[in-house]
Amino acid sequence: MNPVIPAPVPIPLPAPTWLLQFLLVFTFVLHLLAMNSLLGGVIFLTVSSFLGRRDSRHREFTRRVSRVMPPVTAFTITLGVAPLLFVQLVYGQLFYTTSALMAWYWLAVVFLVLLGYYGVYWYQMEHDELGPKAVWVILVTAILFVHVAFLFTQNMTAMLHPQDFYSLYMNGRVGSILGPVTVLNIARLAHFVVAAVALAGLGAALVSHRWKTESPDLADWGRRYGVSLFMGATLVQYLVGLWFLFSLPVEIRQALVGDKLAVGILASAIVLALLAVLSAPRNLLVSSVAILGTVSMMAVVRHFVRMAYLAPYFDPHALPVQGQWVVFFFFVVLLLAGLATVGWMLYVFFRPAARRASA
Amino acid sequence: MNYPVWEPQIMGGGMVIGIIAILHVFVSHFAVGGGLFLPLTERKAYRENNPALLDYVKAHSKFFVLVVLVFGAVSGVGIWWTIGLVTPEATATLIHVFVWGWAIEWVFFIVEIAAAFIYYYGWDRLSPQTHLRVGWIYFGAAWASLLVINGILTFMLTPGKWIERQTFASAYFNPGMLPSLVVRTAVCVALAGVYALITSSAVRDVALRNNVVRYAAQWLLFGAMVIPLAGIWYISTLPSMAREVSMGGSPVVTLFAGLSILLSVLLVAFTYFGPYQRPQAFSTVFAFMLAVLALSTTGVTEWVREAVRKPYIIYGYMYVNSLRLADVGYVQEQGILKSAKWVHQHEVDANAPGRSGGEVFRVECASCHTVNGYNSIRFAVKGWDGAMIDYQVAHLNELKGFMPPFVGTEAERKALVDWLVNLNPRPASPGAGGGNTALPNLSTGIPGEGGPQP
Repeated sequence: MNPVIPAPVPIPLPAPTWLLQFLLVFTFVLHLLAMNSLLGGVIFLTVSSFLGRRDSRHREFTRRVSRVMPPVTAFTITLGVAPLLFVQLVYGQLFYTTSALMAWYWLAVVFLVLLGYYGVYWYQMEHDELGPKAVWVILVTAILFVHVAFLFTQNMTAMLHPQDFYSLYMNGRVGSILGPVTVLNIARLAHFVVAAVALAGLGAALVSHRWKTESPDLADWGRRYGVSLFMGATLVQYLVGLWFLFSLPVEIRQALVGDKLAVGILASAIVLALLAVLSAPRNLLVSSVAILGTVSMMAVVRHFVRMAYLAPYFDPHALPVQGQWVVFFFFVVLLLAGLATVGWMLYVFFRPAARRASA
Repeated sequence: MNYPVWEPQIMGGGMVIGIIAILHVFVSHFAVGGGLFLPLTERKAYRENNPALLDYVKAHSKFFVLVVLVFGAVSGVGIWWTIGLVTPEATATLIHVFVWGWAIEWVFFIVEIAAAFIYYYGWDRLSPQTHLRVGWIYFGAAWASLLVINGILTFMLTPGKWIERQTFASAYFNPGMLPSLVVRTAVCVALAGVYALITSSAVRDVALRNNVVRYAAQWLLFGAMVIPLAGIWYISTLPSMAREVSMGGSPVVTLFAGLSILLSVLLVAFTYFGPYQRPQAFSTVFAFMLAVLALSTTGVTEWVREAVRKPYIIYGYMYVNSLRLADVGYVQEQGILKSAKWVHQHEVDANAPGRSGGEVFRVECASCHTVNGYNSIRFAVKGWDGAMIDYQVAHLNELKGFMPPFVGTEAERKALVDWLVNLNPRPASPGAGGGNTALPNLSTGIPGEGGPQP
């Protein structure tokens, strides 16, 4: 039976598909960086909060790292807006369908994020007052965000299977169809969660590094702790990544392996991850740049996998295009101006003179 | 029709959107107005060399961050989430027309959030001048995000020349864009006052409290003075039918429009005779009461704005049930069930037309009506016989201007009527020993599980 896919909107795409796909992947990488810091952050903060009941270093570490979490949460949400916008533009026919099928679950994401966000604030603002109870606040927050990751995994995987849409529809009730929770979905979720812990570990090492003048011992300890989280999680990721790769349907794996470009990018991503692990104990900057390369390349590989899944059913390049170039140009100029403005604000905030004023 | 129809029982999709949207509007306008309030009040504190006032602004900025950055941001995403679930076709259309507009708004969001955090965390780190500058950057970005989204919102009610030209510029610079921008900016200022009344009511220093309460009330009163003037301008740009609907055409909408004015007047009166005239007697309870009044005003007004757009979701282009006007002829000829992708039956089942009628209802009517809950169709047709219902359905758009026409074949209309007739128990006929009171499970709305059997 032919898959049932909604008809496209009878309005041309406002830019060529390749450009929209580029922006989709590019902005997704930005979102990933913040999202990993958030998801991995709340997970290792939970562990450290447990350990912090007896270990003062963990206690002080969580207190300081928690200050970073509210902005990280805000940027996870905001940076997620753009890839979701482009995915709706290019793959809306698939995305809206599976979202509607799982509507109650999908709507729950909003409330889970809202509660999780307040959890992050509560943990940060009342860290000392909460005392031993803080661990429960951050544990619940971590569960909320892992749940969000699970729901995203379900929807983003379901939309790759248009051939199953109609049977899902016929056998369930619109709004309550979460779709099958397969081994592949679990592997995919694990792949994201482990990556998040790794990235957040590296982030914690970078944050700890900033305490070196005021608390050199804690800075050194935090840096080593963050690096060990990063290295450990990345090594685990090699196993989880393999599990995920071999959970993919044979035809998708073959399509991936048969594409030299995809193989080259995947191999480079893996090598860069190894470089990041090896350099982390000595040079955080090199490690960070290498892992940024890994994240970017893995996002591209993810896109290849998506295209391989959809190839028999859906070709976004077949959609009509009529570029809105003037407003696109305006967007690019404003993006540059916006980034420059943010850069200036970060500069005045973090410059040594500002630190002295606060000391 | 093109997408699976999600029917949130009892509430209906419209109410799900409405609840999230009203709360978001109430907070997001504060995000802009509060962004003006903070640097202006901070500057006032510097100019008056008033450290107590500066302390108040610091405390207010914490409240601001907790309300705006968390609830404002998440509920904004929440609206987008729900419109995608309830009206995917219209959402996809808006994204095709305005994707670069939204991308631009996203840039402003990034600047806005970065500025808000640096403003909040920068009280003791930045020089007063730099801190103020960051405050102004926040306000500029926040207002610019309003500038973008306002044009997209007004497009839905007054798409203007876009219908013929289909360009970004013709869509964005639509007739309602500018007056609505003025109205919304004034609302932002007024809401900045509402929220400032909450925080100022908790100030301990009596002299400072009286000063700030009165100052906050001025913000509310100033915003409220501009709103009716700009509102008249905005109303003048509306399609004539939308105006008529709110001015007598539809009793319910007219009532709500009147309620919106009444609540606004009450809000102004309470503010003038309360915190403005007698700041010393003002309390936090009073402040929350004003906030509830302001939230009610916002809710009722937004409801009216949504209601007058009916029968369209994009005026003159797409009906509220996601059917494009351009597709009406085709669907009329082919039939709604054959045109719809997500139905269990693609043509009327002659043996069980009621079941097919339930399918027609879901595809064509469920965007506004629920079976038993909000805007209940069961209640709407109660007491009507088949002939009456058929007449109504056949002339929907003529009899009720805010409803789209029924589009589909005659067999589908009959099936829908059949289903509607059986929603309510028939009156007991004398001597028959009771009427048809054994109703199937209508609440599920799934053929096979519900749908009255003839």
